[in-house]
Amino acid sequence: MIRFLGLRLARAMLTIVLVVTFAFVVLRMSGDPAMTIMSPEAPAEAIAAFRKAWGLDQPIWLQYLHYFGAILQGELGQSMRDGRPALVLVVERIPATLLLTVPALLLKIGLGLPAGIYAALHRNSLADRMVMAGAVAGFTVPSFVLGLLLVLLFAVQLGWLPSGGQESWRSMILPVITLGLGGAGILARFTRSAMLEVLGQPYIRTASAKGVPWALVVRGHALPNAAIPTVTIIGFMIGSLIAGAVVVESVFSWPGVGRLLVVAVANRDLAVVQCILLLVATTMVSANLIVDLLYGVLDPRLRGGGH
Amino acid sequence: MSATTMTAPRQRIPVLVLIAMAWIATILMVALFAEMLRPYGITAMDLRARLTPPVGFGGTIRHLLGTDELGRDVLSRLIVSVRISVLIAFGATAIAALFGTTLGFLAAHFRGLVEQGVLMLIDFQASMPFLIVALSVLAFFGNSLPLFIALMGLYGWERHARIARGLAIAANAQGYAAAVRQLGATPGRIYLRHLLPNIASTLIVAATLSFPEVVLLESGLSFLGLGVQPPMTSLGNMVGYGREYLTRAPWILLAPSSIIVMTTLSVSLVGDWLRDRLDPTLT
Repeated sequence: MIRFLGLRLARAMLTIVLVVTFAFVVLRMSGDPAMTIMSPEAPAEAIAAFRKAWGLDQPIWLQYLHYFGAILQGELGQSMRDGRPALVLVVERIPATLLLTVPALLLKIGLGLPAGIYAALHRNSLADRMVMAGAVAGFTVPSFVLGLLLVLLFAVQLGWLPSGGQESWRSMILPVITLGLGGAGILARFTRSAMLEVLGQPYIRTASAKGVPWALVVRGHALPNAAIPTVTIIGFMIGSLIAGAVVVESVFSWPGVGRLLVVAVANRDLAVVQCILLLVATTMVSANLIVDLLYGVLDPRLRGGGH
Repeated sequence: MSATTMTAPRQRIPVLVLIAMAWIATILMVALFAEMLRPYGITAMDLRARLTPPVGFGGTIRHLLGTDELGRDVLSRLIVSVRISVLIAFGATAIAALFGTTLGFLAAHFRGLVEQGVLMLIDFQASMPFLIVALSVLAFFGNSLPLFIALMGLYGWERHARIARGLAIAANAQGYAAAVRQLGATPGRIYLRHLLPNIASTLIVAATLSFPEVVLLESGLSFLGLGVQPPMTSLGNMVGYGREYLTRAPWILLAPSSIIVMTTLSVSLVGDWLRDRLDPTLT
């Protein structure tokens, strides 16, 4: 178990290092930051001063080390547009995003898991076909199309709900539904195929054949085993709580991290983009780590340390 | 998939899959002959017919699908958008397949450190939401069509790499690969002439599965205004533009939206069907 944990932890750290390196390489490859920020007509002294201030006059490996050190200390630079620390700018947007993504996650799990399990237990029934059709739709209808259709129906035609903004809890409804429905389809599809795979296993037939009631077979044997692949998907969904609403936030003009990212990308505000990239990587890696630990709990075979 | 229930080994192609195939063929035709099919230029303005609704909703046959705020013909823009979106999706899927398969083969051939490196890259790719990575790259590098296609080509390569590596390792242990090697064939010849044809069907299915995802990704980025840049137009671009006229002229947005949904749905249906036929182990 310790070895298993250690390996996972090392791998998580490595991924973070890889993301930081990626950010650094891309940042430096994208051209001279001094030229990007300042206009080419800026006086030479001003450019030189800018380079010195940002450490751009040092050798590249030293810049990399400095960069790494700064990030370890939580210094992610200032927003090149409004001069405030990028980290502050990003962190103050997080609650708004979570306000959408957490209820959406609950909706995904609450809708997707039971639908997938039910569909698998009643394979080829009408309900199964409907769940699968919904799952395919959830996957193939892009979130901006679904969001805009919902706006068209509930905000424009019926006038029941606001089309965007963040005035009251009612403006949360449409974005949460948009986010949740698509994810629920994906989750239902995964849960169904995981359940079907488990239901085909010999131990299910054995348990059934020795007279265990079907409900108990499902609860005691099928569900725990099917949980393992499903937990992976849920882990990915938890990992994308912060950045999973980029498109939907834009559709509904919701002032969250995703909206900030889109604006920062459009303005080429590199410090903010980089800060969000690192934040997302960290949440993603942490979520994966938790999922790995959960595997150990769910699947005793993994506790030995091997796969 | 519900449409492809196992009944007999030699079943006929399900109707739904046939419809999907017909739709894909239509879209490909439209993409190929876009310049001949479009009734007007995509920037041609008909200022006296601004925001005309489509035929059947009060419009005229001069503009079958209506016009936008500048009086540009929605049908013409739609046809050209299909071409750009299909071009990007095809280009990106091909790049991802080529890149992924190459890395997978390299990992299978050299094993050891090379393999660990490739596996690490796969892990990295799979653990980061691609949209965020793509947005960061766009922020750092700015945007141009070739760069955008190359960037989309980074999507889904890890699926090909995984498959190619796994299958190549398995195939290397089989008689035919060893036999050709004994005959003195170079590694390049073994991989390209002997291994690749044997695993091509699986790779094609994998490409079919990632194609709709690329379409969604491209249209999402273009919708955000960060993908295909005007005056060029893509399906996502049109939706993003049409959003401004959601209340007054919903047809601007509904036309490209339905094309996106129909196309991704069709390719997914065909992909799922192909997978069930050729290799049910793929996810």
